[in-house]
Amino acid sequence: MTASTLKPSTLPSATTSPLAWVRSRLFPNVRSGILTIVLAPLLVYAAYRAALFLFVNGRWEAVTRNLTLFMQGTYPRDQQWRIVAQIVVLALAFGIGAGTASAVRADVAKEAGLALPRQSPLSVIRRFWSLIAFVLLLLYFASTATPWLVVAGAVAAFLVGTLARFIPTSLRNLGWTLAALALVAGFQVVSGTVGYSWIVTAIVLAAGAWSTFKFENVEGRRALLYRALVAVAAWVVTYLAYTQLVYPGVGWDYWSGLHLTLWVSSLAIVLSFPLGLLLALARRSTLPVLRWLSTGFIELIRGVPLITLLFMGQYILGFMLPQGTNLSSISRAITAMTLFTAAYVAEIVRGGLQSIPYGQTEAALALGLPTGKMMRLIIVPQALRAVIPALVGQFISIFKDSSLLYILAINEFLGVRSLVHAQADFRAVAHAETLVFVAIGYWAFAYAMSKESQRLEVRLRAGRR
Amino acid sequence: MSSGRAQIFADATEAKGDVIIEVEGVDKFFGDFQALKDINMNVGRQEVVVVIGPSGSGKSTLIRCINRLEKHDRGRIVVDGIELSDDLRSIQEVRRETGMVFQQFNLFPHLTVLENITLAPREVRRMPKKEAEEIAMRMLERVKIPEQAHKYPGQLSGGQQQRVAIARALAMQPKVMLFDEPTSALDPEMIKEVLDVMEELADSGMTMIVVTHEMGFARAVADRVVFMAQGQIVEVGTPEHFFTDPQEERTKLFLSQIL
Repeated sequence: MTASTLKPSTLPSATTSPLAWVRSRLFPNVRSGILTIVLAPLLVYAAYRAALFLFVNGRWEAVTRNLTLFMQGTYPRDQQWRIVAQIVVLALAFGIGAGTASAVRADVAKEAGLALPRQSPLSVIRRFWSLIAFVLLLLYFASTATPWLVVAGAVAAFLVGTLARFIPTSLRNLGWTLAALALVAGFQVVSGTVGYSWIVTAIVLAAGAWSTFKFENVEGRRALLYRALVAVAAWVVTYLAYTQLVYPGVGWDYWSGLHLTLWVSSLAIVLSFPLGLLLALARRSTLPVLRWLSTGFIELIRGVPLITLLFMGQYILGFMLPQGTNLSSISRAITAMTLFTAAYVAEIVRGGLQSIPYGQTEAALALGLPTGKMMRLIIVPQALRAVIPALVGQFISIFKDSSLLYILAINEFLGVRSLVHAQADFRAVAHAETLVFVAIGYWAFAYAMSKESQRLEVRLRAGRR
Repeated sequence: MSSGRAQIFADATEAKGDVIIEVEGVDKFFGDFQALKDINMNVGRQEVVVVIGPSGSGKSTLIRCINRLEKHDRGRIVVDGIELSDDLRSIQEVRRETGMVFQQFNLFPHLTVLENITLAPREVRRMPKKEAEEIAMRMLERVKIPEQAHKYPGQLSGGQQQRVAIARALAMQPKVMLFDEPTSALDPEMIKEVLDVMEELADSGMTMIVVTHEMGFARAVADRVVFMAQGQIVEVGTPEHFFTDPQEERTKLFLSQIL
């Protein structure tokens, strides 16, 4: 649709000779000609210096010899198989998610009697090219066969996961449940089953059971009873299983490197979104107390720099929690990042809520929808669609800001550099090389997020003009 | 077509037979501005009442009070035996029995046509999906656009959107339908398709209160015409009486301006 809607005159003709191209693009008039003459040598020189650094003078051993350190930091080397297993299990989780998502799209298209737009494997490369390029760079730097095996294993697990598309339509939510369980499992392969992660499993199990068996044919009050029973069952079963099945691991206080960066920022994003949504709704509530509390929280958090919050999390959070609560440094950091992001998410979502015309509320009320359902089914979905770009921007921002943990002596992706440059070989050398490498790593993920948000925006706008 | 029914209500100031909506001594204020002054009106079952009047006369406010989109400040409003009060349950009950069609359609743009229509039956009446969809398709056939079921509102013309809005309200199987200037936001060539649907609805025996500027519709379909000005009901009559022999000066002036 892009090419066909452009006027033919604005498209460069395919038959244009190189000379004509240079004339029309670089020297169309005197002013542009002068600009070209001045800028072209500067650009060429800058490119030359960059290439010289990247390909000739750069001492990339600082990166290549410390690749494992950048990826997993000081995670015990004899436990490295856990990281490998985690990557494979997470790839499986994403595969199941992708398979289920494509099956859902097929269902929707079938029900609407529309042809399903074919997705070529190429589109995946186009969507995630920055991440693929980063992985290829890592493989290029790798000196052993292990990274290749890990990538091969991850791709295989992903492909196996996509088989979830063959789960029958009536059990579609089973796919989502399996994907979520695999995500939790991926975390636990590394961390072990200690702590409260069993609660997450219990919640996933209960939610999965609720949505798989919808209790649609059951009377109102009895359905509630069944749901409660399912929730209690999930709770008890998980608790018993976890207390029986004590599986040791390495807690996240000992994590570092890109591995830590990705988990910390993912958790901050996943936790801050519902919290921010609740804050936004509370700020628009008709109950004054809720409104004041929410407004107070948001304005307080937004008035304080993230770095201050991170320090407060380390030194002050302990006073606010009951005696005996022993939060690890990482948990405190995640708490601070979550609260910070939630305040901004709340303001972004509030903007979205305000952009929805009052007629939507009136129409929902006139149909007899109670306020809660009106918000959940009509107002919030539209508000969130309207603010996807700003929301993802905030998430990218907290992903990059996770590098501030470096100042708390937590060696995340950026902080690993200090370990590298503490090595005898790289003391006071190759700082630029490690910085460039870390920058490429952050960019690869941030760019993929940005690209996905654009895609989501277009897809959710489909059919609306 | 409706002349037969109009005769049943020959004495047109009061609804005859089974009264479904009672409005008694209703006042409504917006700040200092009094939007409704001592409104008294009854609507009988299967009756079609058309409310006309200059803009700002309180017509929309009146019907929005009937399903409590606006809260009246004095007097009482009873819909199908349920009096509207601050009790949330009474409001929900009345809204369930009352369908409303808006000037700006107010369809839910993130849902397909079918989802727009099945939403309330499923969420409010707790109807299984399949049953709700069957009813939705029947309603879409009634408004003559079943082929648009899987499109989004943004892909439809204004007239089609308004017909979906009517189908959406009908899917709740309401006892009363309120229309708030349903054709005022439409391009002229689409007005007829919406009015035709409304006329068929009236013929099927639906109780309707219609705020409109379409005098042709009022003449052809209404059992009674209510004329409002400055928040008061000025005159009530059958279409024949109202359009040919208005009693009040204010009515004559209004009719002379628009006809």
